[in-house]
Amino acid sequence: MLRKASMAIAALGAIAMATPQLASADATDDYPIPNRMLKTSCTAEQIMAAARDVEPFYFERYMIDYNNHPAQQQATIDKMHWFYSMDYAGRRAYSEELVTNLADPLTAAWPNNAKLFFNNKGVAAHTTDICHNYPPDDMSLWAYDAHW
Amino acid sequence: MKLARGAILAIATAIALAAPAHADPDTDFANELHTYGIYGQKDYNAWIGKITCKRIWNGLDKDAYASAQFVSWQLQRGSTTEQSWQFLGAAIRTYCPDNLPFLEAAAQPPFDAEAQ
Repeated sequence: MLRKASMAIAALGAIAMATPQLASADATDDYPIPNRMLKTSCTAEQIMAAARDVEPFYFERYMIDYNNHPAQQQATIDKMHWFYSMDYAGRRAYSEELVTNLADPLTAAWPNNAKLFFNNKGVAAHTTDICHNYPPDDMSLWAYDAHW
Repeated sequence: MKLARGAILAIATAIALAAPAHADPDTDFANELHTYGIYGQKDYNAWIGKITCKRIWNGLDKDAYASAQFVSWQLQRGSTTEQSWQFLGAAIRTYCPDNLPFLEAAAQPPFDAEAQ
């Protein structure tokens, strides 16, 4: 009985070894921009609304930082609109270029300009899970009261 | 005159007794949450409480049900609906008592229904 059981376990082990894991994407598919953000069909405003509700600390911190950078606000809005208007290939290309593009004036003036969107895989997962439930073009999110 | 002096004394006593409890609202808030079985970091819960008030203040959460939903998103998985409402009540009492009517409005309809 015991021998049968151990043979069964050994057989299962052999099957597991013979079945390689599905090829996973390499690190550059998730870094610096999380994969979920490369693939989502949500707009920047939908992602912000989701973050406001399910990642409130992240959202609050980002909006405080955003409010402290008035000169970079329009450029940030334009950049996020531009990014989410691209398809996967375009976003992926931008992600690869991001690390080495140190000359970007927006990044130089405000290094954390995309933190709410790009910085954290967990946050990206939580926001992209529910972002479709929100209106796509609610610009009032950018006017969120950072202080209270 | 005697009455007025008595009233002042009563108010002064109330303030004197109340003061220690408000030394640190975040601690009071955490202690109250513990009685509901809600644990976690004091600063985390305090900030959630304050953001809950902020969302009422800026009109984002239109009623207490929306507030309770927001709270439930932030509590640990497995927390109950009751705990979300307990958190909400404690947060409003601690950080924005002006909004207590907002909470009472949600409690009103069922009581009316019972009375009928």
